[in-house]
Amino acid sequence: MLKRKLFRTALGYKAQFISMIIMIAIGVGVFVGFNMEWVSLEKDVTEFLDDTEYADYRIYNEMGFSKEEIDAISGIEGVDAASRVLSVNVGIKDTKDALSLFVVEDYVVSTMLVQSGEEYSEESDGFWISDKYAAKNNVSVGDEIVLTYRGMEIAGEVKGLVKSGEYLICVVDENQLMPDFDSFGYVYAAPKKIAEAIGMEFYPQINIISKLSKEALENEIRDAINKTTLVVSKDEHMSYAGAMSEVEEGKTMGAILPILFLLIALLTMVTTMHRITANEKTQIGTLKALGFKDRKILTHYTSYGFSIGLIGTLLGILLGFAIAGFVINPNGMMGTYLDMPVWKLYLPWFCWPLAILTVLFLTAIGYLSVKEMLKGTAADALRPYTPKKMKAMAIEKFDFFHKLPFATKWNLRDIWRHKARSFMTLIGVIGCMLLLVGGLGMKDTMGAFFDLIDEEINNYETRVNIVETADNEVVKEFAKENNGDWVASASIKVVDKAVTLEIYDVTHDLIRFIDEDNERVTLGSDGAYICSRLTEDIKVGDTIEFSPYGEEETYTIKVAGVIRSVMTENIVMTKEYAESAGIPYHIGAVFTDLEQDSIADADYISGKQSKKMIMDSYDAFMEIMNIMVALFVVAAVVLGIVVLYNLGVMSYLERSRELSTLKVVGFQDKHIGKILISQNVWLTILGVIIGLPGGVAVLYILIKSLAGEYELSLELGALTYSVSMLVTFGVSLVVGLMVARKNKHIDMVEALKGRD
Amino acid sequence: MSIVEFKDVTRVYTSGEHETRALDGVNLTLEEGKFVVILGQSGAGKSTLLNMLGGLDSPTSGTILVEGKDISKLTNNELAEYRAKTVGFVFQFYNLIPTLTVQENVALVKEISKEALDPKEIIDEVGLLDHLHNFPAELSGGEQQRVSIARALCKNPKIILCDEPTGALDSETGVMVLKLLLSMARNYGKTIVIVTHNQNIAKMADVVIRVKNGKIKSCEEQSNPMSADEVEW
Repeated sequence: MLKRKLFRTALGYKAQFISMIIMIAIGVGVFVGFNMEWVSLEKDVTEFLDDTEYADYRIYNEMGFSKEEIDAISGIEGVDAASRVLSVNVGIKDTKDALSLFVVEDYVVSTMLVQSGEEYSEESDGFWISDKYAAKNNVSVGDEIVLTYRGMEIAGEVKGLVKSGEYLICVVDENQLMPDFDSFGYVYAAPKKIAEAIGMEFYPQINIISKLSKEALENEIRDAINKTTLVVSKDEHMSYAGAMSEVEEGKTMGAILPILFLLIALLTMVTTMHRITANEKTQIGTLKALGFKDRKILTHYTSYGFSIGLIGTLLGILLGFAIAGFVINPNGMMGTYLDMPVWKLYLPWFCWPLAILTVLFLTAIGYLSVKEMLKGTAADALRPYTPKKMKAMAIEKFDFFHKLPFATKWNLRDIWRHKARSFMTLIGVIGCMLLLVGGLGMKDTMGAFFDLIDEEINNYETRVNIVETADNEVVKEFAKENNGDWVASASIKVVDKAVTLEIYDVTHDLIRFIDEDNERVTLGSDGAYICSRLTEDIKVGDTIEFSPYGEEETYTIKVAGVIRSVMTENIVMTKEYAESAGIPYHIGAVFTDLEQDSIADADYISGKQSKKMIMDSYDAFMEIMNIMVALFVVAAVVLGIVVLYNLGVMSYLERSRELSTLKVVGFQDKHIGKILISQNVWLTILGVIIGLPGGVAVLYILIKSLAGEYELSLELGALTYSVSMLVTFGVSLVVGLMVARKNKHIDMVEALKGRD
Repeated sequence: MSIVEFKDVTRVYTSGEHETRALDGVNLTLEEGKFVVILGQSGAGKSTLLNMLGGLDSPTSGTILVEGKDISKLTNNELAEYRAKTVGFVFQFYNLIPTLTVQENVALVKEISKEALDPKEIIDEVGLLDHLHNFPAELSGGEQQRVSIARALCKNPKIILCDEPTGALDSETGVMVLKLLLSMARNYGKTIVIVTHNQNIAKMADVVIRVKNGKIKSCEEQSNPMSADEVEW
């Protein structure tokens, strides 16, 4: 019979029960989903990289590595596999597209997974091409393609469509944010074919699989080939670093948002469960008076907490799969960034204890709430629950308080009397605000960042990439003819990190530099400029020593200032300063105001990128961002509605007697509704005041978590502030109206029967 | 002059297939300024009668005229206005707002009634001037009921309706409250209707109406009602 009561009581409190289940499901779901996202990503990426023998280290030498050198390196103890590699960007005949040609001498490192077509063979004269590029450009197995490289043409048949860990994130260079398989992909070819086509063996790179530390490997290599080489670990290679920074971001997101949700869910549960048992106190007393043992009553009511916990948690885990599946999906958000074959979801182990703890905690809440009502004798239990007696608040000492309208006083005291409920309402509003400001602010920040790149920094039309063997003088002449500026980049090792040294000659204002406050900086020739990320280790006025990779010479430079770098971690200097410091350079790109098509091809040009192409890849990134923001907004609204509605109904139930008294005395429904809503509005105002800076803080943490990748500066538009506030107030008002409407149906006679 | 007139008033409550006739063709006339006691057992229909008169509930059929105006067909808002202007309530369990002080609980009615009297004066008359700033929970039951009376009077209504006003009080306090209620009502010239099952209270009434099974069993005028002190409790 008690069971029947269990269901009927649950039915009576359906609004509370449903909202508690929703809250727990959202809390658990967001936690599971966000954490499943990064755990699955990490596992899927790691497995894919293992399957394709992704290299742990890469070493470079512009002049190419010899057969002896690769043999010596392969012989190092602790090097599991090593191969010479040629990786250059090539064109495709009759298109503007580019491909990264990848040739691995010994097919034991940086291999690929064939998705369709035949397996790789060193004897073959065909190509294995990125399946995503193939799909976007209607290339199929059996098609003939012609690669162009420095005026040469290399033709071959497409043997297979593949995926490779080496190209997990397939971008032209670090200036491109997102892959764009419409115009850029990669192609594998056998070493024999390429050597025949270019008439020589040329391998400027060695890829290595080794568990040795970077430092140990560097020493071993120096001993083996008698040369200092810059060893680039996978942490500095786009594919691994990019994927892992997604994992890191996921971890940060998995730590902030879900904990917020879960906390709100549990707090809501505490307040709601307490209210329900308080409302049920006379029933609890009746059961006790009838002779039911405390234990039986406890079990009865505790089972509410247990079932809410169980149903909510199970739904939450399902929701978690949905959230993670939305992101970890070849056609989903992560699929546009990472190119890998298997997208499997893994439920992180720590979600199980969390799920169990949540159920246990909710059961305990149920237990403790009833325990409180059961205290003392059966007669005590029978007496209805009385909330704490009203005591004067501190502000009542001031005269102004007594001049306030009665509704204001009533609401103020009600907020004060039901502190837990008011606090939870506040938390709901703050949570709503945090999500809105955080989400919309992130969009503002990224948008402003891209605008800055588009409008302020990159003032050119086309970027012309120069081959590595081109003569500087020829390129300078080319730049002069086309009113171009140029940059020479090289990888150098500074404070144990690979950073890019960029030497600029800017005479046509086509590239600009900005400081940390986004103010333009004119580069002086009395020193180098470091990017803000490097300021942790290096200060202005310091001198730095470095040697570019493949060189013995050490150079010393002075740090003259700090600039904000848009993408890479870099050190920037003028051509004049580089020359005065005796640093050799090789021009890598020329920037011009000319259209891509009006620049004639030449053997020193390896490719041309319009600024639009680069910016388009940012748009793809922004689209993903917009989905994230939409998720944040939906989460905020759901959170706001569920928490506020639940508490609103509770507040209404608790005050129903007072409300019906007002009604009996002669107050109109509208008047009473206004009183109810105004309490909501006050708490919302307070919540917004706290939530606004809170949201900025959340945004700050999010930006910090991205700091390794981008030097973002926090931007919040007036629109973000107003939309966040409007949505929060909107939610609060809608919920307020929903609750206030109930007032119309209040049964005055019924409500006045009981005793205070 | 008659202030209230019930004409063939019936109130039927239905729950599922079950029908309860709480009032069954009630005809009744009350004179202005009288002290009326409605007596009856539990479930006789006396509270329903009071609720109808108070505008808390509407009849299934029949008309209720108060000061010549039919209140049985009023909308919710019109009923609220009627309650705000014409009737004052005193309940068994006082129904004060726990988060408002004594003064505020009484002054509350100024929000809805333009003819409201000075709250402080009324509180003085019910003898609670010392407790102006106390919350209901800090008062005894009798004191709370006095606040409730002050609230009802402060609106300055024509009729004061009391549902078992002494039901939750000990007899001594009950007498005090009744005396106060009577003297205040007489001073201010109010019509008082008390619903009770306490026969003793009836001895003080100008008119005693007995209700049974939703019908008026009797309606008698008492030419010499006793004072509260004379009644044996």
